[in-house]
Amino acid sequence: MMHEASLVKSLLEQVDRLAAEHAAVAVEEVRVRIGPLSGVEPMLVSLAFERLAPAGANLVVEEVPLTARCRDCCKLFELKQFRFHCSYCESSDVDVIEGDVFMLESITIRRVEPLEAVP
Amino acid sequence: MSARVITVRRDVQAAARSSAAEFRLRCTERGTLVVNVLSSPGAGKTSLLAATARFWSARENAPRMAVLVGDLATDRDARRLAPWTPVVQMTTGGACHLELPLVERAMAALGDFDGEFLFIENVGNLVCPASHDLGEHLRVLLLSTTEGDDKPAKYPKAFRTSQALVVSKLDLLPYVPFSVQAAAADAHEIQPDLAVLPLSALNGQGIDEWCRYLETTRTSILGQSNAE
Repeated sequence: MMHEASLVKSLLEQVDRLAAEHAAVAVEEVRVRIGPLSGVEPMLVSLAFERLAPAGANLVVEEVPLTARCRDCCKLFELKQFRFHCSYCESSDVDVIEGDVFMLESITIRRVEPLEAVP
Repeated sequence: MSARVITVRRDVQAAARSSAAEFRLRCTERGTLVVNVLSSPGAGKTSLLAATARFWSARENAPRMAVLVGDLATDRDARRLAPWTPVVQMTTGGACHLELPLVERAMAALGDFDGEFLFIENVGNLVCPASHDLGEHLRVLLLSTTEGDDKPAKYPKAFRTSQALVVSKLDLLPYVPFSVQAAAADAHEIQPDLAVLPLSALNGQGIDEWCRYLETTRTSILGQSNAE
């Protein structure tokens, strides 16, 4: 739990800063992407978020597959069983492109609309 | 009032990663290679570092080293290392992994260390430490022969993010059902470029190859960045 809590704290600091930058009056939703190599467990992230986030903010966790691109044949494929080989040409020269980081995807904020649009 | 979606698409640890990159650069400029040592509890991190210090202390013109050691509660590892090498204890107070601010504070306690190797002995755990960049140039994972050769696939992140696998407690190999080849093959499925270094800190077998690996790696990493 310690580990997820410290990352969720860092996530919430970033959300706060973004909310302030965009003159939000409230944060309604925080959307994150977590994959098999993100190093965090989705359920523990949700629990830490419930405890640490301000009331009213809702967390949405999108679980994404571990996706890689082969450097030899350039194809995209899903890595299964943590076997880091291209499923098309068996090359082991592959780059993970999704599913290996704990990603802040988006936030939904509430803000007061200006009475007139700024030209 | 209106709702608005702001697309961010940023790694939650991006700021921590960039602090780690700055720390790494400062160490590169001092000529210090930072080595983050990961393993499960009891795999022999402290014994390996003590054996490394002893090996070098017996040699003329040997590289200078220091150790920052992370522990949940005690200073036992630091006391074991102190006769052989400068060491600073980092007590995490129960946290399951080290983070960069702890490392930076411990580094300051070392004074103006500009030796060739700074080892960070992480908290014994193969899960959380894998997610935290401590500004290391080299991540070394220890797997002991008593743990079983099927561990790599169980801890993919730790293996995927390491550059070297030390198979420790080789002296126990006759008594345990462990195959260095099977462990290496399993690990190479996850990280094909992983260097595999079997050794025993107890009888010294493989310690010379390990130290040679460290020195070669230091030259190739720091030599390269100095040339850039």
